[in-house]
Amino acid sequence: MASSNLTRSRDVKLRGIAASPGVAVGQVLRLDERGRHQFYYIGVSAAQVRMEVRRLREALDEGRAQLRESKVRLARELGYEHSFILDAHLLMLEDERLVAELENDIRTRRVNAEWAVRAVTDRAIEAYKQVSDSYLRERTSDLEDVATRLLTILSGKDEFDLSKLDQDVIIVAKNIWPSTVAELDFSHVLGFATNAGGIASHTAIIARALGIPAVVGLREVTRYAKTGNAIVIDGAVGEVILRPTKSVIRDYSLKRERDEKRRARPGVKPSEAAETLDGARVTMRANVELSTEIESLARFGAEGIGLYRSEFMFLNRLPELPSEEEQYAIYRKLAAATGDAGASIRVFDLGGDKLTLEGFEEENNPALGLRAIRLSLKVEHIFRTQLRAILRANLHGHLRVVLPLVSTITELRDAKRIIADVKQEMAEAAIEHNAALPVGVMIEVPAAALMADLFAREADFISIGTNDLIQYILAVDRANENVAHLYQPLHPAVLRTLAYLVRVAETEKVPLELCGEMAADPLQAIAVIGLGIRTLSLVPASIPLVKNAIRSVELERVTSLMKDAMKLTSALEVEELLARELPRQAPRFFAAWPSQQ
Amino acid sequence: MQERIVTISNRLGLHARAAARLVRRAGQFASDVELARLDTGESADGKSILSVLLLAAARGTSLTLKISGDDEERAADELVELFEQKFGEEASDGVF
Repeated sequence: MASSNLTRSRDVKLRGIAASPGVAVGQVLRLDERGRHQFYYIGVSAAQVRMEVRRLREALDEGRAQLRESKVRLARELGYEHSFILDAHLLMLEDERLVAELENDIRTRRVNAEWAVRAVTDRAIEAYKQVSDSYLRERTSDLEDVATRLLTILSGKDEFDLSKLDQDVIIVAKNIWPSTVAELDFSHVLGFATNAGGIASHTAIIARALGIPAVVGLREVTRYAKTGNAIVIDGAVGEVILRPTKSVIRDYSLKRERDEKRRARPGVKPSEAAETLDGARVTMRANVELSTEIESLARFGAEGIGLYRSEFMFLNRLPELPSEEEQYAIYRKLAAATGDAGASIRVFDLGGDKLTLEGFEEENNPALGLRAIRLSLKVEHIFRTQLRAILRANLHGHLRVVLPLVSTITELRDAKRIIADVKQEMAEAAIEHNAALPVGVMIEVPAAALMADLFAREADFISIGTNDLIQYILAVDRANENVAHLYQPLHPAVLRTLAYLVRVAETEKVPLELCGEMAADPLQAIAVIGLGIRTLSLVPASIPLVKNAIRSVELERVTSLMKDAMKLTSALEVEELLARELPRQAPRFFAAWPSQQ
Repeated sequence: MQERIVTISNRLGLHARAAARLVRRAGQFASDVELARLDTGESADGKSILSVLLLAAARGTSLTLKISGDDEERAADELVELFEQKFGEEASDGVF
């Protein structure tokens, strides 16, 4: 790492979207978009045609073999719900029409195999784009993926065998495709930095599931980063520094070590409670997106699941919705794995920036549009299927449902009426289920926060979804770089809202929990505990870190600190107060806490 | 040659999963399998996923299955059954 090149080059700082927390310091591995692989048009002689056809056939064989292997790997590592896309790719490579057309192009046009692959798949993609069917039009990306796989094989440049990396790397790419993720050797991947993507992108989800730092939405990182460059990424802040100077590398290496020490402080076992020095107990639940994350719950010491984002089960496969059986299998797994601690299933949070259903037009302003509970109530059969699967799976544990984005009390009442109706239908049809299913509301809309006392009387529990709540309170899209700096979790308006919700929950005696990224940031987590929140739900990999923070503070002191914070006038003042006082109160954890946090 | 008329009744139409099932099954027979839309007359090779997908046949579309070859009768029966069973979409069998 001590090459003079590093010290000569300047720190290139890029801001992106914080997609998965943690610091990584290492070397860039640039994934060239395979679609951009350089290939040439070569006119071939009649004699060479046979040779090109043979190259093509070998590449097809190789591609099929790769896909079969990837399919097995993907099914094993991420669950079979993700492996289906690769089977479609495999069928394309087995498609005799496609193969015949490729060979025909080589023979009649006398071109090299690469050119035939590009030309034939381009024609097919063009044909698909003509069809007035949005789902089918999107399948062009599968064709693109298949084409570039063949081009990569043909180009013969196996610079990196991704499944056998021999050094630790940080992957830099325009985007990370599902088929690439399936091939990665995760033990050597320290982080991801991509041009494209948002918080809900595939890259972000995989990174969070694996506990690997990631920054997405960087727009131009591939323009500046070359394989072998030094790079620093901070997945909590959303920052990437290319060709950092030695001092920057040192700073971030220290920060990473501190992070790691905090995460794995000797003596803090997963079984040890998140308890403040003065004995206040905080419940730490897990946010889960992939069913395969369930295995990590015990390792990180999660006490059940506070938020299962059910819509992620059909990422990459819309508009096909998971069947009742498929959902049942996953919910049953959640129920069985969490036992008495239970699991909260957030019903499909579709629409908006998440995922869109076929048959619904794109909206001008999706954040304020037909999404989440609004969509579930409108497309009731999807909601009912999901409820049936949950009620059946509930026989194996203690499930709860959370309704996302409620804004009026009628939505809660309508949902409860449908739930009661589904239970009755199941009882009449003698379908075994467990009807003891608490129904909670997710407070994400300011209207619901202001009426929390009324919701509390009709809901079994309240869950605060801070990511969206903050965006709606402050009218800031945190993925919009022009205003992202205004996304301030410690804004007094946010703190006042949280304090109000705590008061309501106490008065109405309903359980209250907070899920959202605030819970995963040690400083912010301590702040919300000081406000009176006692249950947090966060990404499993961050539980040990936050638990260590909690075990280093006294509740009484942070409560009084937050009383002072509530008198301040801006997020900046609150941050300054916390950054000054927490290291004094809890030097064991917060000493030398970086000020930019 | 066997000719059968089927109507697509599974919710998602001949999209990736159903198309893949159809192509996989069709590939198990020696007979040629052709699908033709009743409404537009467009036809597709039932053994080619790219060709089947291009039909963009949504739920409610009627198709003529034209099957010719040594095992055409058995092929026709089994493929019609696949349509009737909605490609197993409603009762996910876990494979693929």
